[in-house]
Amino acid sequence: MAAALTSIREIEREVSARRTVPGSEAPYQRTSVMTHTAWVPPEWVEAAEDALAGLAERHPSRTIVLFPQPDEEDGLEGDVDIDVYPVGGGRQVCTETIRIRLNGPRAAAPASVVQPLLLPDLPVFLRWRGAPPFGEPAFEGLIDVVDRLIVDSTEWADLPAPYAGLTGIFDRVVVSDIAWARTSRWRPHLASLWPDIANVKKIRVTGTAAQAQLLAGWLRTRLKHPVELEHEPSDHLDGVEIDGEAAPFPPGDPPDPSDLLSEELDRFDRDRIYEDAVRGTLE
Amino acid sequence: MTEATLQENPLLEGLQLRRTPDPCILVIFGASGDLTKRKLFPALYALAFRRLLPANFAVVGTARSEETDYEFKARMKEAVQEYGRDEFRDDVWEALADGMRYVATDFSNKEGEDRLAETLTELDEERGTRGNRVFYLATPPAVVPRVVQELGKRRKTQGWTRLIVEKPFGRDLESARELQSVITRYFDETEVFRIDHYLGKETVQNMLVLRFANGIFEPIWNRQFVDHVQVTVAESIGIENRAAYYEQAGAVRDIFQNHMLQLIAIAAMEPPIDFTADSVRNEKVKVLRAIHTPGPKSVVRGQYGRGFIEGKEVPGYREEPDVPPQSKTETYVAAKLYVDNWRWADTPWYVRTGKRLPRRETTIAIAFKKAPHPPFEELAAEGLRPNALIIQVQPDEGISLAISVKVPGHGLTIRTAHMDFLYGGAFRTGLPEAYERLILDAMLGDQTLFTRIDEVEEQWSLVDAIIAAWARDRPAFPNYPAGTWGPPSADELLARDGRSWRQH
Repeated sequence: MAAALTSIREIEREVSARRTVPGSEAPYQRTSVMTHTAWVPPEWVEAAEDALAGLAERHPSRTIVLFPQPDEEDGLEGDVDIDVYPVGGGRQVCTETIRIRLNGPRAAAPASVVQPLLLPDLPVFLRWRGAPPFGEPAFEGLIDVVDRLIVDSTEWADLPAPYAGLTGIFDRVVVSDIAWARTSRWRPHLASLWPDIANVKKIRVTGTAAQAQLLAGWLRTRLKHPVELEHEPSDHLDGVEIDGEAAPFPPGDPPDPSDLLSEELDRFDRDRIYEDAVRGTLE
Repeated sequence: MTEATLQENPLLEGLQLRRTPDPCILVIFGASGDLTKRKLFPALYALAFRRLLPANFAVVGTARSEETDYEFKARMKEAVQEYGRDEFRDDVWEALADGMRYVATDFSNKEGEDRLAETLTELDEERGTRGNRVFYLATPPAVVPRVVQELGKRRKTQGWTRLIVEKPFGRDLESARELQSVITRYFDETEVFRIDHYLGKETVQNMLVLRFANGIFEPIWNRQFVDHVQVTVAESIGIENRAAYYEQAGAVRDIFQNHMLQLIAIAAMEPPIDFTADSVRNEKVKVLRAIHTPGPKSVVRGQYGRGFIEGKEVPGYREEPDVPPQSKTETYVAAKLYVDNWRWADTPWYVRTGKRLPRRETTIAIAFKKAPHPPFEELAAEGLRPNALIIQVQPDEGISLAISVKVPGHGLTIRTAHMDFLYGGAFRTGLPEAYERLILDAMLGDQTLFTRIDEVEEQWSLVDAIIAAWARDRPAFPNYPAGTWGPPSADELLARDGRSWRQH
């Protein structure tokens, strides 16, 4: 790999230089629909790269991946990847991935690194890996420059307490939660149990803590009465019992992770039902 | 989902509920045909793959040829594997195949029709389809009235019925009205779905979004700013052993009467007040009504002779199997049309369609007027071209805008560059096939993308006038070699106005 790029200007120059088809003057066609940024602390690097791999092709975009490394010496280290996908008729479409290591104090001010690299006039998504440090400048600064924050509360410890921080930012940024999306097959299914489900007192959810909390929060806020939650840990949402009785399984297969992220990227409006459900987890 | 249930059931709030059709049986008439194999079953499989079909669903194929259920299923499985756009999954196929039946009937045979009715009743019980029926008439046009009659006589009172009628709807205004009178004897207009698969195409629907969801195009979408419009529906294939049909139809009935006029209607229509079936169709029919009948000098017809396609020599139309050697059937039509209304008066719409043209392409190109006084005229006159917005319907669905830009450097050289939006480039979800959308809409009872009878009548009266004018002279066919862009007279049609067909 070439020497790391150490300033935004160098990164910009590299992006435009790399957009040209080797051996010709014609640039790749770029049809971007958004800027996608990702905040990836060291422990999430591997998982993040996997999810990005499937994503670039589906949502041609500029992706800016930020790797905070606060313990390193002050500086930026960037590199640029241009991926080209054939789209038929001999034409190709390119997506740009810019990876930037934010070393030392730079890790505290990521918004100022991201802003000059955003594609003008297109929506900006921020995928935050792990639990967001609510109130800290790095996080607060970033959510003010993005249109939509995507989290996966499955990645958070000690649920439901961290949801309290999330409720505080709903008015500032639109939030998507992949854990919530993972309950999307079950919610219409549970709704179809109406009216039997109307007076549910207790649910027992076999699944991740986030799924269990969010489903309970959802039922509490929609039905407007307390619903007790019993949680049986599992990697997948494997079952829901309503007052001791197992609900039948919803049809179809569970969605896969890059599909879920991809679907969230197509959505732009606030999901009030989700916001209510998050508040409901704290009841 | 009705509002009442939402008020009652708070859990439904905010759920992205996809509308799923009611339980029903789809009955395909003409199940041994090419359409069933290439389009309908691949579309049904794609719908099943995405779980868009109702849980209680069955498909009955009927045609004249004898075939068992087993053979029918095997043939369709092969078709899905060959023409489907998704990976083939046995579980998806098995679930679909489980509800598949085949009934051999001759359409003149009452017994066969009775056998079909019995099969449907059995399936209702077996599959819980509640008497709901979608009848897909993919038969040769001649037998359509007969089938409609038989279906009408056996109409059940229980459940809903929808009739999908493939094009062509009649072969002129009179026969279209006759067919319509048979249909209205048994069916209401809300139950009739006249298919024009172009309307199911994503780009065609996107044209409505482009025009009416963007603020910048509509203000210039009129005679003041548009110089002219060009619509091209080009095919590189010949008649593919369909001589019997094509001899009766010709390019004017095969493409111009339906696809071409519908494309014009959508590109020219006024904004509908909402996106309901009747609002959209009311606006379309106004355009069709406003199209001025072209005089004989404004219509050009052609027939292809021997020539080359993709480097291979291909026979002329008159040498195709089963085509009479003196055939006067046109395989190419071009016309200059005027939409006589406030928006489009005096703006020519040049349209052309043909077989054995150099490539397959459907485009609508809006050519804007040139800049009123370009200060660069002396410096770079040859580079100055008016802007054009090109809507590409197939093959690569997309939109591009031709703009003039300065070539970098010291001098002032101007070149045309394209800003391209390519569907495949911006959304990698894979475009649904037109038939998927249309079959699903018919099951849901949504007629927006289907042609209403008054539209069909307007289309035929225009075509009848063109054909009547042709009856008076003898064309010198063939007049264009396969693999070229039509007869020289088509170029003259535009040259007379100081314009030319778009370059490719």
